[in-house]
Formats: sequence, structure tokens, C-alpha cells
Amino acid sequence: MELNEQKTSQCVILGITGRLDTTNYNVLEKKLLELIDDHNEKILVECSKMDYVSSSGLRILLMALKKITMVKGKFVLCGLQENIREIFEISGFTNIFEIYGTQEEALKVF
Amino acid sequence: MRIKFPKITFYRGIAFRYSIFFLVAITIILFIPLVVGYGTSSVLIMLQAKNDAATKTNQTVTRIENVLQPTELVPQTLVRAMENPNISNTDVIRIAREFILQDPYVFGTCLAFEPYQGEPGSYWYASYAYEKNGHLQSKILGSKSYDYFKMEWYRLPKITGKPAWTEPYYDKGGGDTLMCTYSAPVFRNLNGIRKFVGVLTMDVSLAGFAKIVSEVKVSDTGYGILISKQGKIIVSPIANLADKNILDVARQGKGVETMWAIRDMLKGNEGFSNMDGLEAKKRPSFLSYAPVPSTGWSFGIIFPEDELYDDMYSFIKVMSWIFGISITILLITTVLITRRMTRPIVRLVEATHKIGHGEFDTKLPVRKSKDEVAQLTRAFAEMRDELRSYIINLEETTTAKEKIESELKVAHTIQMDMLPRGFLTPDNWDLYAILNPAKAVGGDLYDFFYLDPDHLCIAVGDVAGKGVPAALFMMVTRTLLRAKALAGIPINMVMESINRELCQDNPNQMFVTFFAAVVDLKNGTMEFCNAGHNFPLVVDGGVTVKRLKERHGFPLGVQERGRYNAGFYTFSDREVLVLTTDGITDALNTREEFFSEIRLQETLLRMAGKSAREITTGLSDEIEKFSEGADQADDITILALQYQVITDIKRDVMNYEMLKLKNQLTELDRIALKIEEISEQWNIPPKVSMELNLVIEELFTNVVFYAWDDLSEHEILLELTMTDPDAVQVRLTDDGKPFNLLEMKVDDVFDKPLEERKIGGLGIHFVREMMSEVLYQRSDNKNIVILTRKF
Repeated sequence: MELNEQKTSQCVILGITGRLDTTNYNVLEKKLLELIDDHNEKILVECSKMDYVSSSGLRILLMALKKITMVKGKFVLCGLQENIREIFEISGFTNIFEIYGTQEEALKVF
Repeated sequence: MRIKFPKITFYRGIAFRYSIFFLVAITIILFIPLVVGYGTSSVLIMLQAKNDAATKTNQTVTRIENVLQPTELVPQTLVRAMENPNISNTDVIRIAREFILQDPYVFGTCLAFEPYQGEPGSYWYASYAYEKNGHLQSKILGSKSYDYFKMEWYRLPKITGKPAWTEPYYDKGGGDTLMCTYSAPVFRNLNGIRKFVGVLTMDVSLAGFAKIVSEVKVSDTGYGILISKQGKIIVSPIANLADKNILDVARQGKGVETMWAIRDMLKGNEGFSNMDGLEAKKRPSFLSYAPVPSTGWSFGIIFPEDELYDDMYSFIKVMSWIFGISITILLITTVLITRRMTRPIVRLVEATHKIGHGEFDTKLPVRKSKDEVAQLTRAFAEMRDELRSYIINLEETTTAKEKIESELKVAHTIQMDMLPRGFLTPDNWDLYAILNPAKAVGGDLYDFFYLDPDHLCIAVGDVAGKGVPAALFMMVTRTLLRAKALAGIPINMVMESINRELCQDNPNQMFVTFFAAVVDLKNGTMEFCNAGHNFPLVVDGGVTVKRLKERHGFPLGVQERGRYNAGFYTFSDREVLVLTTDGITDALNTREEFFSEIRLQETLLRMAGKSAREITTGLSDEIEKFSEGADQADDITILALQYQVITDIKRDVMNYEMLKLKNQLTELDRIALKIEEISEQWNIPPKVSMELNLVIEELFTNVVFYAWDDLSEHEILLELTMTDPDAVQVRLTDDGKPFNLLEMKVDDVFDKPLEERKIGGLGIHFVREMMSEVLYQRSDNKNIVILTRKF
């Protein structure tokens, strides 16, 4: 898995590339906690290059959502691949997360 | 066996107690005569003293009388003589004076006349003579200053006309000493008329009596006392008492007895009494007294009580010393003797201790005598020998018994080893069996074996009887079953054949109830034959227990030409066939209750859905619990066969992949690679591939985190099979603690608010959602999860 961070005037765009699973979820966890600690309260996660996620990865995303919601920030996902989207649906996370098809669409909400 | 003897030191025990007991007895026995002796002695001493005192009293009285009698006799004789006119006054005076010179006690004599009767013209005339230093002195008494007419010694005989003794008095101007006077009246015949003319007296010095009285010796300080008629003390060795009245002295004492004694004494009686001494100390004393008849005086002897018993007391003192010394010597002797007597017992006790600890070669103390201790020692030696031979005997018996037991144990091992252990069945069949013999070797049997890869023969039997013969019969039956069944003939024919063989050579008329079946593993059917055995049970998914109530003939070995039919049964999905022997229903508890068919069925219902192994062991445990420790009367055999309908698995090198994984998360990479690999090989769509990957990761992660409590390395087996062109089966096996993911509740994942959702449950949820079929098995202590994904 690779992480790609890009700061814009509106928000931080965090790109995930590859597999997010039990072996590496802690890398993402560390990164997100860093961003939140630096008062980046608006985060957009770009998932178009993420081709696998397990419950461990979902847990980190859920954790980030909870923390940012508490400080009245915004945590948004975009560009989910079809398979990943199904996983989100099965887990019921589509009802919890704000998910947009493309990065452009997502950026409008910030 | 160890016999514990209490530790007794006989030295302080018997010897000491015996000596003390003995001495107490001796002391009591000796003490009685001592007390009695003391009592009688004191009485005797008292009587002796009384007699002695009385004797001495009388002797003294006699001595006093001896003094007084001549003193009286001489004047009486002279006075009578003076009645004769021829006897002149001068003659009388001469005789009287002669007498006083000779008599040691009488020291003076006087012839006193009436006025003008002695010497013409002389109012007073008394011719007095007394002895002084052995010479006779004489003088004429009578003057105004010495008017003897008024004196007692003159007045008494004049008034009474009889001779009399005066009270003691001090004759001043006369004898000038303390004296008593015997005075006799003198009558003369004047002109034919007998007329009183004067008195003739004899003076006795009291000093003379003092000598007599002082010679009286009673005890150490006893003394005599002489008193006059009036109670005046005539003689007493005690100072300050002379001339006093004894009544006055007695009044000073406290005792009433003293007054009584003195009064009795003054009455002129003779007697013996207690009294207070007359001396200043007034010690309790005895008084012995007797009258002096001629004068009316009384004589007494007074002596202290304690002096009376002095001798006895000193005697008792000496006796006590002797007594004490004797007792001490006796004590020492007794202790020595008893010690000597108990010494062999002590040695015997020591020897007993050693024998008690198993040292049978211990020498017992040798006693040549024939006393009780020697007898005891001999009896003890006999006991030791008996015990030794008994123990040797016991050891031999035990060895023999152990040998038999160990041989039985070997037989048991052989029997158990002959029973098939490898419960290897195709995946959709689960088989398990146990046999708990009542004795080391039993008459029950179970068996199963493959006739060919698709046909499994199973059997359960119960030989009538137990022990080695039953076990042998059982072995024969089993061998025959294998031989006949493998020939490939129908099961009822197999039974007929076994029956014939068993009947042909059966001198003991043994027989076996037998159930055998051939199971078609492919289509889940069973052909079976029940030869007098109890009905098998079929448990379905947890709703009912049914019995296969078919019997096809007598037990084997009963009727040589017996004919046997066969039954047929088709298994439904997840049904379990349970074969038992009557050892289960007939199992007794301590209250003599049977385990019974009903309990058997209830137990099986409770365990529905579990693996064959869990059912058999669970049932066995239940029976053990029920029996409450009562002896197992009969062998217990349980065989369970479970069937599951699943799609045929074609195991092929081409569509089977296996991965042995360690319990480490890094293995997830290998899993991902492997799935990528098979997905390509088996044309699995990417979506399915990813789902398989996801589901396997979730299960694997769960196992790694929760299956073991330790940190050591374990193996997790991942098997992937392409069961159909459009289906993949995943099989994940671990030997961790039981975990049935089907029992896990996943509601939590969705119904609860965001914060409380359990992430672990999400993985299980994925498994259920994404897979077409999920199966869980627990067998051989392993968790097996079987997933199927169709596409």
C-alpha cells in the first residue's frame, strides 16, 4: 500500500494505492492520526487506486470518521472501485460515510 | 503397613507408679497401729499414773499417820493414867518429855492447868518443854500476854472433852514455830467428882511434815500438798502458799473442776481429778487425794498432764523417725526392683518398634525364666515369625496377582489396539467410536473398515459374558466379520456365514448380539443386519431421535442354520447413526437406577449437531456422571456415524491447492499471492477472487489473534479446491480452541451505534454474506471451516 498526501486550500487529499489489509492498516492509522493532530479537520480520501480493503482497514477509516466528526470537521471518501464499494455496502458503511464518485464531486462539498 | 506404638518409658511409668502405690499402702497399714497404739497407750499411761498417784498418796498418808499416831497415843495414855490419883503431874511431865526426845516429829509438850489447879495461887500454870538442838528446854507458860485459855489448843479439848488437833498456827511465846498441836483433856477425880483440870499437848512441827511431803516424787515437777480440815495449807513445796487457804488459791484458777476437786478433798474423800495447778503457771494437772483420818487433814499429789505423756511423746518421735527412714529405704528398694522387672518390657518395646517398621530380623531380648515377661516375649517372637511368613506369603500372592493383572492389561491393550482407531472418512462423513470395558478385557466390540473406497462396513457387537472368554469370542467374531465382509457378499449373507462358523465350534454355548452395516459413502445409504442386538438410534438435526426397529434373526452363535434378512436406510443431511450396546441403558447408579433408553435419547438430543466424537465422548461422560461412581457392570460401546450431504468433491492435483501457514500475520501476503495464482489458473472472476481473499484474511486473522492463549508457533492449514467449474471450496483448519463462527451473533454489527460496533464481528459478517455455503466442524480437537463460493 502506498499513501499520497496532497494539501489544498480546501482540504487534505489522501490517496491510497494498492491493498489495505491487516498487514498494513497501521500505516494508514498513523498517517490519519498525524493529520488530525495537526488540525487538518477536512480530509478527502481518494480510493480510486485502492484495490483491496479488509475489515482492519475499514476499522481505521471508521476511527478517522469518528475523530473528525467529534471536532466538527469533514471526512469524505471518493472514487471507490466497484468491488470495494460492494464491501462497503455489505458492511453497511455506505450509510455512515460520505462517498462520492469522483474527486471533483467530492471537492465541491468542502 | 506401619504400626505406630506410643512411646512409653517404662522406667517412669510402671516402676514409679507401682512404688508410690505400694508405699501409700504400706504407710496406711503401718499408720493404723501407730494411731491405735497411741490411743491405747495414752489411756494406759493415764490409768498407770492414776494408780501410781493413788498409791503414793496413800503411802504418804500412811507415813503422816505413822507420825501422828504415836503423837496421839502417848497423851491419850497419859491422860487416862492421870485419872489415877497416884500418878502425879510431875510423872506425866517426865514421861511426856521423855517421849518428845525420842520422837523425831514431836518437838514440844505442855501440861496446862485450869486456873489455880496447877500451882496453888497461880492463875495460869502451864509446864512447857521443847526440844532444841537435841536438848530439852522447859519453861512455865501463862501470863496476861500469853493467855492460853483463849488459845485453840486449850479451848478445843476443854469444850469437847475430847482430844483434838489444832489448825496450824504460829505459837508465839510458846514453841515459836509453825506447828500443829494435839491436845488431850486431863480429868482428875476431886472429891469423888471427875473434873476437867487441864490439857496435855503434843506439838508437831510442820517442818517435819514438809520433809515427808517433799519426799513424794511424781513425774518431774509433781508435788504433794497437805491441807488441814479447814483448807489451810499445812505443807506445800510451792513458795507463798504456806498458811494460805487452799480454797482461796483454787479460786484463782479458771477450771470449775479445780473447785469441785478441792471441795471433795475437804469433805474428807479420796479421789482423782483434773485441775489447774496451784503454781503460778497453773498448768493443766491431775490431782490425787486422800484424807488423813486421825486429824481430818487431806493430802494431795498434783502433777502436770504433759509430763505424764512426755515419755510417750518421745517414744512416738523415735518411732516416727524409724518409720520415715524405713519408708525411704522401702521406696528405693521398690523402685530398684520394679525397674529391674520392667527392663525386659522396655527392651521388648524397642524391639516392637523395629518390627513395626518392618525389621523382622530384630532380635528379641532373651529371657531364661518362665515368668510373664518371658511368656510375652515368646508370644511376641511367635507373632513376629507369623507376621514375617504372612508378609512373605502376601508378597508372593501379590506378585502372582500382579502378574495376572499385568497380563490382563496386555490383553486389554491388544484388544483395544485391534479396534480401529483411524477414524478416516470422506469429508461429509464423520465417524467416532469408543469402548470402555467393565473388566480389563471385555466382550463388546465395534469395528469399521472400507470394503472399497466408497463402501464402509461398520459393526457393533456384545458377547454374552465378560472377561477373557468373552474377549476371545469377540475377537473371533471380528476376524470372521472382516474375512466374510471383504468377500463382497451382502451383509445378511455375511451374518449367516459368521453365525454358521460360530455355531460349529462353540462348546461353551457363547453367542454375540451383533449389528453390522455396509454404508454407501457416495449416496448416503446403508444396508444393515441386526442379529439380536439392541436397536440403533438415528438423531437428526436436533428434533427427533428414532430407532431402527428391525431385527433380522437370533444373536450369532445360537442357531446354526439361522437365516438373516437385511434392512435398508437412507441418511438425510446431518443425521447421526448411533450404535450402542446394552451396557449403556443398563448402567446403574448408586441408587440402583438404570441409565435407561429415555436418558440415552435425551442425552443424544441435547448433543444434536455436534461431531461424532463429541457425541460419543459426551454420552460416555454423561453415563459416568450418572453412575455416581458406582462400579461399571457391563462394557460400554458407542459408535456414531454422521452424514452430511455436500457436493461431490473431486480431488485432483489440478484443482486442489494447499498452504501450510504459521500463525503470523505476515502470512497474509502468501495467502494473497496464492489466491492470485489460483484465480488465474481456475478462471476465477476478480470480484470472487477478492472476496475469497477478504474472507480468508478475516478468518485467518481471527485464528491468529484468538485461537491460542500461548505465544508459540502453530500451524494453520488452508486448502483450496475447485469443486466445480464454477465453485471453489475453502477449507481452513486450526488446532486452537473451539470456535464455531456459525454460533457467533452478528446483529451487534448493525444494530448498535457507530461507536459500539465490533470490528471482529464484521469479518464474520463478510464471510456469511460473501460465501455461498459455510460449514463448521470440530473434530480431532481441530476447528475446520469449510466455505464454498459459487460463481
